[in-house]
Amino acid sequence: MELVIDYIEFWQDKADSIVTYTWEHLLISFTIIFLSIVFTIPLAIWMTKMKNEKMKSLIFNIANIFQTIPTIALLAIMIPFFGIGFVPAVVALFLYALLPLLRNTYAGIESIDQSMVEAAKGMGFSTFGRLIKIELPSAIPYIMSGIRVTTVYIISWTTLAALIGAGGLGDLILAGIGYNDKHMIFTGTILAIVIALLIDLAFGKFEKRYSNV
Amino acid sequence: MKKMVVGIVFACLVLLLAACGNQTSEEGGEIFNYGAQKNTDAKIMGQIVTMMMEDQTIHEVEMTEDLPASPQVMSAIDQEELDFATLYSGEVYNNHFDEEQVEYSTDGEKTIEQAQELFGETYDIKWYDSIGFRNQYSIAISNNLAKEKNIEMMSDLEPYAGNLILGTDNSWIERANDGYDAYQETYGYSFSEANGMDVALMYEGINSGELDAVTAYTVDPQILEYDLQLLEDDMQFFPPYDASIVARNDVIDAYPEVSEVLDSTVGMVSTEEMMELMHEVDIKDRGTKEVAKEFLQEKGLLE
Repeated sequence: MELVIDYIEFWQDKADSIVTYTWEHLLISFTIIFLSIVFTIPLAIWMTKMKNEKMKSLIFNIANIFQTIPTIALLAIMIPFFGIGFVPAVVALFLYALLPLLRNTYAGIESIDQSMVEAAKGMGFSTFGRLIKIELPSAIPYIMSGIRVTTVYIISWTTLAALIGAGGLGDLILAGIGYNDKHMIFTGTILAIVIALLIDLAFGKFEKRYSNV
Repeated sequence: MKKMVVGIVFACLVLLLAACGNQTSEEGGEIFNYGAQKNTDAKIMGQIVTMMMEDQTIHEVEMTEDLPASPQVMSAIDQEELDFATLYSGEVYNNHFDEEQVEYSTDGEKTIEQAQELFGETYDIKWYDSIGFRNQYSIAISNNLAKEKNIEMMSDLEPYAGNLILGTDNSWIERANDGYDAYQETYGYSFSEANGMDVALMYEGINSGELDAVTAYTVDPQILEYDLQLLEDDMQFFPPYDASIVARNDVIDAYPEVSEVLDSTVGMVSTEEMMELMHEVDIKDRGTKEVAKEFLQEKGLLE
């Protein structure tokens, strides 16, 4: 019981800064999600139309290399170009998010029933018309699941934004680690989990409504 | 057949676990555990303790490095996962004790006495007297800025602070006694921004001009390397962080020779000496072991 009272007191003390940390976290992660969807999904669609296998594997390899760079090193490299705070955090985490989203979207579009595409060709659809009317609608469930998975990743990776002064829930967690405050560590962690679950749920609802499967 | 395989695997597991349980050193002594935080000075002290222990007793020491911060070192000592560590007297004000138990002070003597007493009782450890170096928070700005505006003390920052961006570690902004809120009250000014970040990136930031001021730690070699000016704490705001070796009581009670070795760390390394050692490691990228060994040999404490 005492634990609960302590924890409620902690919230009364820190409510303002917890809201700030949470807001920063949402802002960073949503920016990354938005940018990576806008950039990666057209790229993946274009890649499925690509005839050049070498080019394809080059793009995948580049996305893969970003994944292997240690976070601190990547952030340190960014400072001369993007300074500190929001911008380098978003750029670095965007590079991390590239690969999972690219791979999922590409695989999704690739896995469409080819006989349907052939039938559409036979009916005289143009390439673009085929994409809009046939391929994308049937690929949406795959693309959505790619977005969902990546979004959950991004929410948890955003805790790393605290390393470069961009704030977010990672800042609260690291502050708790340095200042011996278990309430801070716990709160930062729980809120990050809750945000990830809520977003996943929202995407799930969206998917149900708009997919024709 | 299948049963036999399962049996063999199980037996192997049991042997493996047993091997973890009661290790002995090559000379038939114990193997103790030393834990170091992320800061290089704690790692160098770990190497010093390890080498002296192996040189002067039959025991060995294993090091665990890069624990996130002192509170985690404390927990690990409490769990009996660690036997020794380097800790700092100012840690006593870091949210470990209630306000009734601990009296906040920036006096060196008072601080280490309270740390020895309170941590000693709570965690059943011996907190040795200071190693001789101090690693506390301070404010640093670039030398150019200091010369240009003639800033020597933290008070001198007041007219300019509103246009300066501060970089600090992730916990300073939230600290109660010696954190940013209390600093603003004491010195009566705020920086335009205060960003919590990784300490290595904090120094990168001030070096590349993205930050104007940082909460440097007094032994960090980056202060000299990046031509920074430590400001004098004219209001006596920051508490002292005197480094000491700590050890679990039941270890030193059972092995007096261990306590003797740890005792010899008292007064062993001055702040200047530690800065030099850290310069070798952090700036010249040499290994902590090599640097610590050289230091001990120069002092005549090791063959």
